[in-house]
Amino acid sequence: MKNLIVDAVPDSPYYPEINFNAENGVCKLSGESYMEEAYKFYTPLLNWLKEYTLERKNPVTLNLKLTYFNTNSSRLLLDILDVLKKSQEAGTNVAINWYYEEDDPDVKDEVEDFEIETGLKITMKPME
Amino acid sequence: MLLNNQLQNNIIYYHGPVNIDLISFTSNYMKQHIQADTVVISKIYKVFIELAQNVSYYSAEQYSNLRSFGTGIGWFRIDDHDDHFAISTGNVIFREHGLVLKKNSEEINSLKEDELRELKRNTRSQAGQRDIGAHIGLIQTGLITGHSIELSIEPQDEKFSLYTITAKVNKR
Repeated sequence: MKNLIVDAVPDSPYYPEINFNAENGVCKLSGESYMEEAYKFYTPLLNWLKEYTLERKNPVTLNLKLTYFNTNSSRLLLDILDVLKKSQEAGTNVAINWYYEEDDPDVKDEVEDFEIETGLKITMKPME
Repeated sequence: MLLNNQLQNNIIYYHGPVNIDLISFTSNYMKQHIQADTVVISKIYKVFIELAQNVSYYSAEQYSNLRSFGTGIGWFRIDDHDDHFAISTGNVIFREHGLVLKKNSEEINSLKEDELRELKRNTRSQAGQRDIGAHIGLIQTGLITGHSIELSIEPQDEKFSLYTITAKVNKR
């Protein structure tokens, strides 16, 4: 299975940078996410995660380093977390780290809402 | 066009086609130029993107010469008042959408923070992947600002109404 890489594009800062590593299962989303038609961007990510975790049963660590995401993107992030929840229920090791900026006033509520919706434990870590 | 008495507190005003690149440019310009602490700027940034994207997606006037998706015509402005910043947008909508928008905003304005978060979770989990979600965007705006959303719907003719919305971010 190949790595899934999407580089950051300075002219389009509304797309996050993606690095899903098939060798070690460390998957990172970083930057901002408020593109149009978010499902088109997130569908390959969802498919990659489904194959990697649900079909191949590989352990995965998701590192979310998003400094901003709009509500449409949050709907797709919920889908990513739902895939990981199903993988966890099927016996796969899943770890989720949410890196946050100290001066973001809303991030703790956002993460708590995702935890309530998915039943997953999300570890919050300050952004370095 | 702004009247003289509307210019006094105005930081940014734009009227025309609104697409993702304009929203991105404007939101990052705001980050650089608005004089406020980082928490306030973060809230203005988030609210502006949600409201401006609603104009680009839902305006009944679409600028078809640019792209096929998300180039609605409308306006946005940001005003600097003594104790708050006001982020406002306006666009034309089909009259039948006005009742739904009014009902949604009344519901949002009637709820306490915990209730609003629950509504956000329920709305998000029930939305489809392709649902670009004006309703959840307004809920999020209410959560970020902690203020009531000010909404105005003025019928223009038998088919269209002018929809304007204002959200306030307190200074600290």
